[in-house]
Amino acid sequence: MNKKIILLSALAIFSFSNNSCSDDFVDVKPTEAISAQDLTLFNNNEGAESFVTAIYAKFLDWNMSTFAWIGVSSITSDDADKGSTPGDTGADKDVLDALNFNATTPSFRDLFAAHYQGINRCNQALAYLPQLNNADAGLRNRLAGEARFLRAFMYFTLVRTYGGVPIVDRLSIPGNAEDRTMLLTRKSKEEVYAFIEADLQAAIAALPDKSAYTGANVGRASKGAAYALLAKVSLYQKKWQKVIDNTNLVTGYSLTPDFAEIYKISGENNQESIFEIQGKGEAPAKGIQQYSQVQGATGAGGWGWGFNGPSQGLVDAFNAEGDTERRNATVIFRNSTLYDGRIVPSTVNNPYYNFKAYSSNYSGADNSDVNIRYLRYAEVLLMKAEALNELGQTPQAILLLNQIRDRAGISPTTATGQTDVRTAIWKERRLELAFEHDRWYDIVRTGQAQTAMAADGKTFVVGKHELFPLPQNFIDEAQGLSIQNPGY
Amino acid sequence: MKQTNLKYSCLIAVLYFGMNANGQTTPQDTLPKEQKIEEVVMIGYGSRKAVDNTTSVSSIKAEEVSRTKVLNASQAIQGKAAGVQVTASDLPGSTPTVIIRGLGTALSGRNPLYVVDGMFVDNINNINTNDILTYDVLKDASALAIYGNRAANGVIIITTKSGRGKGITVEYDGFVGVRNPLKKVKMAGSNLFAYYTNTALGTTTFSQDQPVNTDWFDEITRTGVYNQHNVSLSGASESAKYFLSLSNYDEKSILNGTDYNRTTIRTNNEFKIAKGITLSQNLSVAFNNTTPKPLGAFTTAYKQSPIVPVRYANGLFGVRFVGDNGFASPTGEAFNNVGNPVSQLYFDNEKQKSFTLQGGLKLDVNIMKELKFTSQFSGEYNNFKSYNFVDSKAIWLAADPTRVLNNTPYLATDPINLLTNTKNDYYNWILTNYFTYNKKFADIHDVEATVGMESSVKNGTDQLITIRRNMIANSNYWNLDGVNYKDQLDDLKSINGNKNTTTSYFARAQYKLMNKYLLTATIRRDGSSQFANGQKWGNFPSFGAGWVVSEEDFLKDGFFNLLKIRGGWGKIGNQNVPLNYLPFNTGTSYNYAFGGSVMSNGMTVDQVYDPNLSWEITEETSVGLDFEVLNRRLKGSVDLYDKVTTNIILKSIPIITEGISNPGYAHLGEVTNKGVEVALGWDDKIGEDFGYSISANYSFNKNELSNIAQQNVNDIVGGGLGNGQDTKLLNEQSIGQPLGSFYLYEANGMDANGKLTYVDHNGNGTIDAGDRKYFGSYIPKSTLGINLNLRYKSWDFSANGYGTFGAKVYNGKKAQRFSGENVEYSVASDFWTPTNTGSANPAPFNAVPLASTYYLESGDFFRINNISLGYTINKAVTYISSMRFYVSAINPVVFQKFSGFSPELNGNGDPYGSTGVELDAYPTLRSFVFGVNVKF
Repeated sequence: MNKKIILLSALAIFSFSNNSCSDDFVDVKPTEAISAQDLTLFNNNEGAESFVTAIYAKFLDWNMSTFAWIGVSSITSDDADKGSTPGDTGADKDVLDALNFNATTPSFRDLFAAHYQGINRCNQALAYLPQLNNADAGLRNRLAGEARFLRAFMYFTLVRTYGGVPIVDRLSIPGNAEDRTMLLTRKSKEEVYAFIEADLQAAIAALPDKSAYTGANVGRASKGAAYALLAKVSLYQKKWQKVIDNTNLVTGYSLTPDFAEIYKISGENNQESIFEIQGKGEAPAKGIQQYSQVQGATGAGGWGWGFNGPSQGLVDAFNAEGDTERRNATVIFRNSTLYDGRIVPSTVNNPYYNFKAYSSNYSGADNSDVNIRYLRYAEVLLMKAEALNELGQTPQAILLLNQIRDRAGISPTTATGQTDVRTAIWKERRLELAFEHDRWYDIVRTGQAQTAMAADGKTFVVGKHELFPLPQNFIDEAQGLSIQNPGY
Repeated sequence: MKQTNLKYSCLIAVLYFGMNANGQTTPQDTLPKEQKIEEVVMIGYGSRKAVDNTTSVSSIKAEEVSRTKVLNASQAIQGKAAGVQVTASDLPGSTPTVIIRGLGTALSGRNPLYVVDGMFVDNINNINTNDILTYDVLKDASALAIYGNRAANGVIIITTKSGRGKGITVEYDGFVGVRNPLKKVKMAGSNLFAYYTNTALGTTTFSQDQPVNTDWFDEITRTGVYNQHNVSLSGASESAKYFLSLSNYDEKSILNGTDYNRTTIRTNNEFKIAKGITLSQNLSVAFNNTTPKPLGAFTTAYKQSPIVPVRYANGLFGVRFVGDNGFASPTGEAFNNVGNPVSQLYFDNEKQKSFTLQGGLKLDVNIMKELKFTSQFSGEYNNFKSYNFVDSKAIWLAADPTRVLNNTPYLATDPINLLTNTKNDYYNWILTNYFTYNKKFADIHDVEATVGMESSVKNGTDQLITIRRNMIANSNYWNLDGVNYKDQLDDLKSINGNKNTTTSYFARAQYKLMNKYLLTATIRRDGSSQFANGQKWGNFPSFGAGWVVSEEDFLKDGFFNLLKIRGGWGKIGNQNVPLNYLPFNTGTSYNYAFGGSVMSNGMTVDQVYDPNLSWEITEETSVGLDFEVLNRRLKGSVDLYDKVTTNIILKSIPIITEGISNPGYAHLGEVTNKGVEVALGWDDKIGEDFGYSISANYSFNKNELSNIAQQNVNDIVGGGLGNGQDTKLLNEQSIGQPLGSFYLYEANGMDANGKLTYVDHNGNGTIDAGDRKYFGSYIPKSTLGINLNLRYKSWDFSANGYGTFGAKVYNGKKAQRFSGENVEYSVASDFWTPTNTGSANPAPFNAVPLASTYYLESGDFFRINNISLGYTINKAVTYISSMRFYVSAINPVVFQKFSGFSPELNGNGDPYGSTGVELDAYPTLRSFVFGVNVKF
């Protein structure tokens, strides 16, 4: 063959392949995930909603609502014991139960990280919503209100657990010194409460009543929820008048006649429910990760891991009041039959299990249909009663207290006088709100902690245990910008 | 075929790539020693005579590669090349990790680049080791810079065989072998377990007189069997060379039920179309059929108590309940969280099938006498299918015998069974065009220049995964015609992987003056799609120089047959990170069901993103010395190198309050590797009948994190044990330590109750996070390989050994106690009691132990990798030209200090992952093989 033809064909191949050497060739668009540059795809109502849906979804995560949360808010208290088998520590549930924890106990890091992950999602939503100008303005306004309610909710948990924490209210830019200081410097407890109240006021202005949420919106934050949370936040700051004012604005709710009904599927999101985290067990399932499984009965014939079982002290407290209705709705007894016919045999490891975490249809599944009831009308009434009593209006307080007792099927209170009624309301809170992630914070807030934990056989160190330790990882990262809580 | 002569030395690679017609395998036709045997090494886009090469390249001969009968060729070169550390696992189908001259990159791809017949591939599992002709490892930057963008971890160039000789030769190689575990860990028997656990709990739950004593490791393992058959035809004529090989590898591994089968077909042909125009074609097809079983069964077998029987008398699987009588019982109290490994294997029902097609076309055109043009196109297509059938209801019933005994109803909403089907495929291609110019001026100036460009496309893997429930129990009826599976569908995933494209331009000039002075320079410019705009391009130059001192008048024909000094400097890059962009995070974990019934999609931004992420660049300076003396019987080389990676890419963990849960990649620091490699070989014969050669190679490498780039780099915590404890940490304090260093509490004896005590380094009176220190890394400091070959008349014998020193390993599975698991015999038979206070082991405990030096052990080991003995019969029958019988022992013996199963702990290669931590109890295997090689 002619050399020239060879040469030409070779050069032809060479130049043909040159077509691929432009910059476009090394410009590749992702196909595995949506690039944040393509925001226009989400510039509509559905896109706006999706940013806020992700915030609610954080409450379903393991590190937010399951093992760490159960450990820190429940197992520590006198209402619950670690549970499970004696040898199974659940990584750190044994030290939590014994009040023997320190800054390196893993649950504190999980809980801290989880809440800030949720707060990040709130900040992302609040940053992106204004950019979605094709979405309905009223909808965006309401969604922003929901984001602020949820952000306030998370900061409330943080401040009750750790005391003052860094207030992260915007997205941070990597490398920016100011943002870094914001992320690592603890604010005071008062500043955090002020921030929470500001968020809740904004939410109140933007959110509709619960009745506005139907169908695919049931369970979203409502105006009533914001008022109820603001009342509780005021309760923790002992701002009694504010408690009364805000509980008065929680309208449109009523107590469920049958207490046990609240915790069944038929009782989810009912007339008493103010704010619940929703679990879905049916495929495609998405529930609070392993919440029912971790607290289900364990051992032969059981269906779960057996943690967070009711303590003998709690069962005795129910019995002392003659409160069988609430006791039977809160405690699963060994060797009994449950309302759906399930037999709890005598071979399960522990005598008591948490009934409020039980799911009839999905008992041991990773995703069950159990909801966590964070705010309900009964607590609104009890908060109002406590505030009224503190302001000297004891008779009105007794009326409200008796409403709760009446619903529980027990006789009205015999307490009179501010001191006795105060104790009676505190006792009522224990029996009514058992296993709703409230007990530990309640005994610390009211100053009962030392005596209550002593009755449970544990030593509550005053001046130290009122706050849990900030995770050691955070203190190390802060490099001096934040210091640890006293005693740790 | 002429009489073969098995005399050879370590450095001969006997192929002229592309330009000569005699490509062939060893053994070679006899040549008298006075004639120079041309030694050639592959240097990327060409080849060079070894004596003219200024770079550090280790060539491994074909029969060294195929001598050790293993599945993946990289495992066979363990210990044969200085500076190349191979960590292999014996799981069939696994890819060994190959680390060349120290770990320079931590997260952005740890394996070297494999160039197989010009095609870039990630692993060579689909290549039959008998098809390999040359295996060259490019080690230093001046050799690697020509590969620029992917070369930072080293490059291994593999060429497969092509036709040779006159007429057609046929060769058959087959072997059968058995395998069993090399080292087992002795566990406590049931009475000793009972005594230990009773002491730990402070109770008498377990009886000391157990009727059952199950050896779980024995229950789940069997003697493995494997065999391989290989047939190849090769031939050449004036105008064509052809090569065809077929092989089949079949292994039933030691874990009950595992099965691995690989069939390969390869055809490599070369056509001389006209004078000066050659077209080469290579095509290989590999079929893989695997029945995997969960490796977790080994860990379950390690942890499960021996008091539990495999099955109870009533036929149900034994579970972890202990009855009132202190024996295991179907009803009773649960005493640990460990399953039954035999049932774990019984219920595992999976199969995998894959098909890999690799091929290429290469056109060489001699445009003029000195100028050649080469155009090469290679492609790879891979298709993978698998299923996994989970018999959910049966597993639920087997987990707790009381469910069967009491007839507990199964939840109506739970699936009876779940079937996961996975299908994925990908397609990659590379197109390279280059010119090579070769001319000798005035008889002393020898110039060679190469200029070219290359484009590659690596399409992401496309995946389709379906999970369906309540399928018919017969696998024949899982995909029926006419059925709409919509209502049985639990999950459907369809994923298009991100694409990765690169474009490159490269040039190289090599100058040789009077056969004595050598100079090389290369430059490569690469663009990669992985990085954001403005960061895509990088330049990678290198220089090399050499001086063949033995050609100088003052040394010529003297003591040194060859004395060469060489050195070089180069810059190479690594772009093997995921596509760098900021995504919206969507998917199930961001969804929420309002009202508990209607699922809504959620979306947020949950990722760290650094737009300035670019090439990770390694700069290396190296010098070397090659010598041959005593009539070329003693050969050796010494290399020194200093590698610095200045902008190492690591996972950037955000500050905890930023609330981002997915880390991203960022440039975070500087890592240096300094080291020396020494290789020596002696090759001689005594009389005509006895020949021998001994070679050894030793390398020492010091790996150090020398700098952390930013002030606000956040701690990277790694080496998690799954129980809340971590063993590794990267932060400012790690500067000066090797990567992946263990960061632990220091255990220093026991207190008055037999509990471990720890040193309070920061002196504050309590044991807290400030008391942890660095205690060495899993990265070994030195490696040693020794090879011995003997030949006597028709007998041949070879042995090789390999060892590493200076590494630390962490016995993670021993530390993962929750409660009631089994303990090792050495711990259960000698632990602290008030009467035995001098014991090395603390009193029995059930709490999660702190990550401490008590579990840290030395990872030093030396293992004989291969011993083989062969006998060759020549011309036994007229049409059989030679027949060789051989027996081989692979991994027959190991000397190790580690009390666990294996000190070679690959993990996933991530230095801040589980590398170096033994969490699963997978043993190293020992094999005995008998085989025959027949040439027709």
